[in-house]
Amino acid sequence: MNLAFWIISAVTVLGALLAVSLRNLVHCVLALILFFIGIAAHYFLLRADFLGTVQILIYVGAVAVLILFAIMLTHNVTGTDGPREILGVKWWSGAVIAAALAILLKKAILSDPLAMVLPAGDKAQSSVAEIGRALVANWVVPLEAIAILLTAALIGAVVIALEEIQKSR
Amino acid sequence: MNIPLGHYLILAAILFAIGLAGALTRKNAIIVLMGIEVMFNSAILNLVAFWQYKYFAVPTAQLFAIFAIAVAAAESAVGLALVIAVYRHYKSVDVDEMKELKG
Repeated sequence: MNLAFWIISAVTVLGALLAVSLRNLVHCVLALILFFIGIAAHYFLLRADFLGTVQILIYVGAVAVLILFAIMLTHNVTGTDGPREILGVKWWSGAVIAAALAILLKKAILSDPLAMVLPAGDKAQSSVAEIGRALVANWVVPLEAIAILLTAALIGAVVIALEEIQKSR
Repeated sequence: MNIPLGHYLILAAILFAIGLAGALTRKNAIIVLMGIEVMFNSAILNLVAFWQYKYFAVPTAQLFAIFAIAVAAAESAVGLALVIAVYRHYKSVDVDEMKELKG
C-alpha cells in the first residue's frame, strides 16, 4: 500500500507538471487526463470508491472533452506549438510565488501534530449506499440547489457561447 | 496502510502550487483554466484525506467533495464558454491581450 501511494503520487505530480508546462495544447490536455486519473487512483486508495468513480466520469469523461472542444474551437485544430513562454520575467515571478506557497504550506503542515495521524477506520466496505441515503435525507436541499446551479450554468454557457451568432443574424 | 496524513496534505500542497504556477505563468486562457482545475482537485483531495483519517464514520466529507466537484464542473463549463466568446471578439485567447477594461 505504501508503494502504491508513492507510485500514484509520482504519476499525479508528473501529470500536473506536464499539463501546465507543455507547449502543445492537446498534449497539455492528455497530461491533465493523466493527472485526473492519478487523483481518482488516490481516492480509491483512500477507500472513497464512489468519489473515484465520479472523478473519472466527470473529469476524464466530461471536463477533458470540454477542454478539447474549447481548444478546437479557439485554436488551430491540431493545436500547434505555441511560443516559448518559459524563463521570461512572468514565468520567474509566477514560479517563485508558487514555490514560496509550497514551502510555506509544507512548514505549516509539518508543524502540526495532525500530520502524524494514521488512518482511523479500517473497514473495507463500499460507501455508496451511505452516500445515497445521506443525499436524499439530510442533504436534499443542497442537492436541489446544485441541480438549479447546473441548469443555470448549462443555459449560461450556451447563451455566452452563442452571443455573436445571434447578433449577426 | 500506514501513510501519515501529512503525506497527503503535502502532496495536495505541491499539486496546488503546480496549478497556481500554471495559472500565473501561462498566457493561454485555456491553460489558465486547466491550472485552476488542478488547484480544485488538490483541494478536494485534502477533503477526502481528512475524511479517511479523522471522520471515517460519517460520509459528510464525501458529500462535500461531490458538491465541490459539481460546482467545479459548472465553473469550467461557463469558463470555457467565456474563453470562446473572448476568442470571437479578440481572435486570440492570450490573457495579456485582454486589456480593454484596463484604465
